[in-house]
Amino acid sequence: MAKAPKDDIFTKKTFETLSGIPLKEIYGPEDVSNNSKIQQIEDAGQPPFLRGAYKGMYRVQPWRIFILTGAGDIEEARNRVAYSLEQGETGFLAECDMSTWLMYDVDHPDVVARKKDVGWYGAPVMSLKDYKNYWGNLPIGDVYCHTGGVLPQMTPFFISCFLALLDERKIPIEKVNSTGQGDFFISYLSMLHPSLIPPSAGLKLNCDAIEYTVRNAPSITPISMAGNNIRECGANSYQEMAAILSCAVDHIEHMLSRGNLTIDDFAYAIGGINLSTGSDFFEDICKIRAMRRMWYKLLSERYNAKSSKSLRLRVHAIPLGSIYTFQQPLNNIVRGTYTVLSAILGGSQSIGTPSFDEAICTPTKLAHTTALRTQQILMYESGVTNVVDPLGGSFFIEALTDEIEKKAWDYMKEIENNGGFIKSIESGWLHNEISNESLKNIKAINEGERKIVGVNCFEVEEEPYQFEPYKPNPRTWEIAMKALQELREKRNTKKVEKAKKNLFKVLKESENSMKATIEAVKSDVTIGEIGEIYRTVYGCWDAPKIIGL
Amino acid sequence: MEKKIRIIIGKTGIDGHWRGVQSVSTALKNAGVEVIYLGATTAQTISKAALEEDVDVIGLNIGASYEQVEKLMTIIKENKIDNILVVVGGTIPRTDIQLLKNMGVNGVFPPGSKLSDIVQFIKSNVERK
Repeated sequence: MAKAPKDDIFTKKTFETLSGIPLKEIYGPEDVSNNSKIQQIEDAGQPPFLRGAYKGMYRVQPWRIFILTGAGDIEEARNRVAYSLEQGETGFLAECDMSTWLMYDVDHPDVVARKKDVGWYGAPVMSLKDYKNYWGNLPIGDVYCHTGGVLPQMTPFFISCFLALLDERKIPIEKVNSTGQGDFFISYLSMLHPSLIPPSAGLKLNCDAIEYTVRNAPSITPISMAGNNIRECGANSYQEMAAILSCAVDHIEHMLSRGNLTIDDFAYAIGGINLSTGSDFFEDICKIRAMRRMWYKLLSERYNAKSSKSLRLRVHAIPLGSIYTFQQPLNNIVRGTYTVLSAILGGSQSIGTPSFDEAICTPTKLAHTTALRTQQILMYESGVTNVVDPLGGSFFIEALTDEIEKKAWDYMKEIENNGGFIKSIESGWLHNEISNESLKNIKAINEGERKIVGVNCFEVEEEPYQFEPYKPNPRTWEIAMKALQELREKRNTKKVEKAKKNLFKVLKESENSMKATIEAVKSDVTIGEIGEIYRTVYGCWDAPKIIGL
Repeated sequence: MEKKIRIIIGKTGIDGHWRGVQSVSTALKNAGVEVIYLGATTAQTISKAALEEDVDVIGLNIGASYEQVEKLMTIIKENKIDNILVVVGGTIPRTDIQLLKNMGVNGVFPPGSKLSDIVQFIKSNVERK
């Protein structure tokens, strides 16, 4: 029989948000006197963008349904993306294998030692040919697309492949709407891998892509800082906000130090971010609202940005997969529903959803489809798209929005006191801050202080249902290896060598590497070869020691 | 004085996510277990290190395929070192738990496992081995 918790939540004496902000029983006009003057609250699309990035919000433009997809070999991954688009997804985000993330070709010893792991989380993409095989048959230009390239070290390669593909298919750049990733949080916070290039080199490569796309491909948002990745690692909401803003500051300072572009030329290229929504429904709604206002203040007050394109923050919200449970996994559909709802009520431009089997395997087709339908039901059936910022003006929502903003500014100061974002990840300070938060949360769940249905209350002895977990094509490594061998045999070695030499030289001389990377991918230089050049020029990251490991 | 239990922990994949392995490692350290953390590793490397370090337990954080687990269990059988306890944890479907146990893995801990259960399992099974 399912067990109810011993200590009932209705008997508890203190109330606070997940990040520890104390909560009153009821909120009134006295709680919103400072920051948010409810009587004079600005419309969405107006500075400080508290109520929304755009006027009219979902009446004008529904949020984009943008779910992470793609595992197996390239064909299998592409078919899943295509299926998702057929079913009504309105943007696509095609994932690559871990070997691609680390910039290894599949014959690298670290990959060969784990051949059967290839394809479990995404398809291996090693060359422009692979990229064209994966992305080339998808409706780029018709729907919003992710260029690929999760880590900063992948940014130039993937943007170059994307641009080369547009070139070949004669799709005008103005026609596409897309984003890259180059995320520092997954690269240097939630993962520690000894083969990554150092964070300062990652920053340089991201900024190369920003500079190049601002000038040549302004419809691409080349990077997108992903707050969800720091949250999945254990950070709380205001740590997530502060980390994003200080990471943005490091990018902005680096761009300004180059002296080639002004803040209003490039701010938009950094101003599209990912934010998480998790198990504190109201706190995460307030976080999204507050984040837009903070972005506005940071850009206008610190950097004197003027154009609304610079001052307006766009948000892709990602409901957290880490709140999904292994136990009674169909319950995760409900968790997905309320976290998508908080993303909507916060006013996100784009939303992803984890699938209900998140804690079990890479999404099966059924779970993936259900994740998509969750968003469609909210969009088409629930009426939540009718009114802009429907919670705006609530005493509680405005008070909590003010409070989380204050917490985030304070924490941003702490990061800056520790040398700024890059310094605080090089020293490991930020990792240890987050891991303390993570351990505190795990302890609260383990000891039953925080209730998780099916995990520490209402548990069942026998799971009521079983399903077949996802497994990728077991021949993924062989297929990728064959494509790699063919590429190496057929490509023009002279051109390859010339392009590699040129890229090496450009990096050594600290010039913008984008043109050289575009030339390299067009000459069939592989991601492993480019990675090798990076590792030679920059060395590998001496990752910090983390408490407990 | 009672001899401390020694465990060597590694990740079989190359991805490097550390949150799960860190929480398990911290719980073990708090319970008085000596933890050696290898990071991303292979069956070959961790089995060699396990012998050199004279550990009682090998802990693997797994995801994706079970290639490394299979290889590790073969090495353990071939070298007759099955006095070493093998525990694995990670994103493991319920349907695969028995599969891993059939390979000879002593303890399988999927997501949502209580840290205290992992500690308890290791403590009582090391004594028994």
